[in-house]
Amino acid sequence: MTAPGWATARARIALALVLLYAAASAAHLLYEVRRRPGHAAQDEISANDRRFERLRAELPADGEVGYLGDPEVAGAVPRDSVAAALLHFRRYLLAQYALAPVVVVESTAPDLLVGNFDSVPRPEPPGFRLVRDFGGGLLLYRRAVP
Amino acid sequence: MTALLALSLLVSIALGAVAVRTLAPRAVALRWPLVLSLGAGLGAGLSALLFFAWMIAFGPGRGFVVAEAILAGAVMLASLRWKRGEPGAADDRHDLRPPTVLVVGLLLVLGAAGAAFASGLMWHPHGEWDAWMNWNLKARMFFRGGTEWRAAFSAALPWSHPDYPVLVPTLVARSWFYAGHETQLGPALVAATFTFGTVALLATALARLRGTGQGLLGGLVLLGTPFFIAHGTTLYADVPLGYFFLATFVGLALDARYGAGTTRFALLAGTMAGLSMVTKNEGLLFAIAVAGGLVLFSRRSLRGFALGMLPLLLLTLGYKAVFAPENDLISTLGADRTLGNLTSPDRYYMTLREYAVHIASFGSNGIGSLPWVLVAYLLGVGISRAELDRPWVRAGAVALALVMAGHFGVFVTMAHELARLLASSLDRLLLQLWPAALFLFLMVARMPNGKPEPPSHARQ
Repeated sequence: MTAPGWATARARIALALVLLYAAASAAHLLYEVRRRPGHAAQDEISANDRRFERLRAELPADGEVGYLGDPEVAGAVPRDSVAAALLHFRRYLLAQYALAPVVVVESTAPDLLVGNFDSVPRPEPPGFRLVRDFGGGLLLYRRAVP
Repeated sequence: MTALLALSLLVSIALGAVAVRTLAPRAVALRWPLVLSLGAGLGAGLSALLFFAWMIAFGPGRGFVVAEAILAGAVMLASLRWKRGEPGAADDRHDLRPPTVLVVGLLLVLGAAGAAFASGLMWHPHGEWDAWMNWNLKARMFFRGGTEWRAAFSAALPWSHPDYPVLVPTLVARSWFYAGHETQLGPALVAATFTFGTVALLATALARLRGTGQGLLGGLVLLGTPFFIAHGTTLYADVPLGYFFLATFVGLALDARYGAGTTRFALLAGTMAGLSMVTKNEGLLFAIAVAGGLVLFSRRSLRGFALGMLPLLLLTLGYKAVFAPENDLISTLGADRTLGNLTSPDRYYMTLREYAVHIASFGSNGIGSLPWVLVAYLLGVGISRAELDRPWVRAGAVALALVMAGHFGVFVTMAHELARLLASSLDRLLLQLWPAALFLFLMVARMPNGKPEPPSHARQ
């Protein structure tokens, strides 16, 4: 094979290799499409937004609200504790995302307090009274007037 | 509603395209696909800056939509009048007929990538964790917050990184003001603009500078990078950042090719680097790294680059001073801990090992990963010496190396949980650089037709 002929062959092999990679990628991407359910209604964030919708309407347009939620952060063993802390944090973040522009803080300092629990009834947090139970473990408390 | 969202895209692309056409020297006719590809990102950046300025001046509101649409119309009209009567410009594209297999391959991968992108967004329309806890949360604060929109920067929400730049959330909120309500099509449109805009920019710039075949090849490889498409649907800011990194390199390449006697393309490169600073904090490191590369190898471009970048650097510093609390990585730094990290060989070893592993497996599609494919490709086609010797290529390569070194330094010195941070962010950092690195690679790789290189237009 002459030098230019070899160069052309090498270039064609190189191009074929890239095309092979691209074909494999296309197959990989299409496999991902098939694997997914593809229904927006099933996504957790939208469902969370709907869950908080009525509570959000009860909140002021701005300012801070407090937050209490499940699961408890302390687990039976350290690994449980980490998993519980992560789930607790995720639920708190989702509450903040749903309730924006109100700033949700993990504290009982504000006068309004959002409760986001796995199960109810719950004892009222000290110094607070229940304003409304929205169902599904979602509660709104207000600081009790002394 | 869909029409209004489409209008939001059209307005920003129009603003950007007019800005690109205005910036391009008269003697260089950039074809519309390249103008629109550059205009999509530049326009998005301009729209985000205008909307943020509007919020500061008047608060968030739909008045901005009317004002911006009028502005875009006026700018387009003025541009048409201004451009009329200008001398016809030469287009020196070396347009070799591209191999049919590349055209067919690109269309097939585009179809698969488009389907995967749409399906990804349907699967998680709010994006992944960082998108809703950070970028889209800020967008909601802007859209819902009224006069209290600054709550987006509340120090009571340190986990939302209130110091992060706001190009992406500003664009998302802007799209909702156009639509009149919150819709997941807004962030999807922003993500699609940057994901497919990056592919279009890579392909059209390579087509212009190296021939249509090279452009198609670039588009094919980028679309065929599964992580790039998948990450585009997470609604994070890494893909938009990668767009601006790529656009900076495209500006520098255009400057090297057509910038004799003008700083306009270097200014465009500087502006794009500046927009990367208002997209993510990593943009600041990138802009400094590019400036460093230009100081070493291409000082002629430095003035224009600095002129384009400086206003956005000042805006970024002003934003940090007024709106942003201290960065969480920096605020938790202490001299003792930093010194301890710096002198810990384990941290260097772990970071180096993860760099090697993540680079070697980057772009994996289940069969192969990109570095190996591209090394084999380069061995097959060879390197264009004429392109390799261009100063901007060296400056760009140095910039990429500096950015990677900078990230390495951040990992070693600052990260609390190094292993977790490396696992969660190294691939994303590599992805940010990937379109620019691929552009650089295909600028110096010879074309896959096995024919001699077309005449060089090098002037440096």
